[in-house]
Amino acid sequence: MTGVSDILDWARQKVAAQVPKADLDQRDPDYIRDQLPGLWLLASLYFRADVRGLDRIPADGPVLLVGNHSGGNVPPDTFVFTLAFCSYFGVERPFYQLVHNLVALYPALRWLPKFGTVAASPDNARLALESGAAVLVYPGGDYEVCRPSWQRHVVDLGGRKGFVQLARETAVPIVPVASVGGQETALFLGRGQWLARLLMLDKVLRLKSLPISVALPWGLNVTDWLGHIPLPAKIVIEVQEPIEANGDDQTVYEKVVASLQAGVDRLAAERHYPVIG
Amino acid sequence: MRIERRITLNADRDAVWTVLKDPNDYPSLLPHLQRWEPVTAGPPGVGSRYTVMWEIGGIPVGGVIEVLEFDTARDLAWISITGVTQRGRFRLRDAGPGRTTVTFRLAYHSDGGLLGLIADRVAARQVGRSLSQSLKNLRRLVER
Repeated sequence: MTGVSDILDWARQKVAAQVPKADLDQRDPDYIRDQLPGLWLLASLYFRADVRGLDRIPADGPVLLVGNHSGGNVPPDTFVFTLAFCSYFGVERPFYQLVHNLVALYPALRWLPKFGTVAASPDNARLALESGAAVLVYPGGDYEVCRPSWQRHVVDLGGRKGFVQLARETAVPIVPVASVGGQETALFLGRGQWLARLLMLDKVLRLKSLPISVALPWGLNVTDWLGHIPLPAKIVIEVQEPIEANGDDQTVYEKVVASLQAGVDRLAAERHYPVIG
Repeated sequence: MRIERRITLNADRDAVWTVLKDPNDYPSLLPHLQRWEPVTAGPPGVGSRYTVMWEIGGIPVGGVIEVLEFDTARDLAWISITGVTQRGRFRLRDAGPGRTTVTFRLAYHSDGGLLGLIADRVAARQVGRSLSQSLKNLRRLVER
């Protein structure tokens, strides 16, 4: 007799089958170059972005950029850093960003692969790193972006250490990327993990959270699946010193989290007011 | 978008050229410069390349440039190879005994159609201020 677990397994396989394998050739430098001015306007005028320490990223070769993530389903830190990386190193340097499987499947975002965005999976990340590219990953992902706004300066990768193994196996340095401001683009009230468990979305869609927030234009916003209009919070990003993946997973993980938290603490100390910065 | 600033210095062209002829010294001359690294080896001259990044609006903007003209005590001009399309020029001309007029021109163009035009226009104020400050820094260096 078919049980609930069988149905969940079937649903999980169906969803997993939809997750596209990374096609690195979809990245289009000319397309990125065309989009940079618009992104620059948005980053400079709306988010008053300030990106520092890009010189700490190795000038060439593969590198795993590990960031803390903020802003619900409209995380400004990703596009601000992508803009800064492409401006600093040039669109010619291969650069890929890993995103949640559901983002990769979202029909309205089918243009993302042109930016070098691929579905987050160890295979896709390894493929990109072995091609010599820089890869941006947010291990905290959907868990971290949904933390309450009053925890906005807490780095919480949720214990996800897969990036350490990935860096070790591909022999690439880890460069932590700390950012602040993203969790001030709406009033995030909680992760709603109980709701995700209740609806079994954690098992079917790998969604550990169903965030509850107060955001434009919805007011009370549950799930954030349709996104929201982010408040114009000042986004500040600081690249930290590279870390080699030498040592056991836990040790390296703690080093990366400590580096990110130190960076976030430093940037948070410079902020006078929420949103305004 | 083309922006031009001009200044007349109490120094002859050779003295001004002494400062301008070595782009490796530009980090002390050009404000908002976030990165200036030689790409090619050897003394500065036609064909020398540099990676140049200005911080415009908190985001690095620039690319690799190549020196196109290196006319002693007259003109030093460059063009971008990657990044934002740009042409720059320092133009030195006599302004009387022991005086030199220096013109600093920067023409740039972003891709992206209408948004590129708007971005160019928005950046123009900061670029203009940056050029003016560069010439003030040049005055400080040559008239000391």
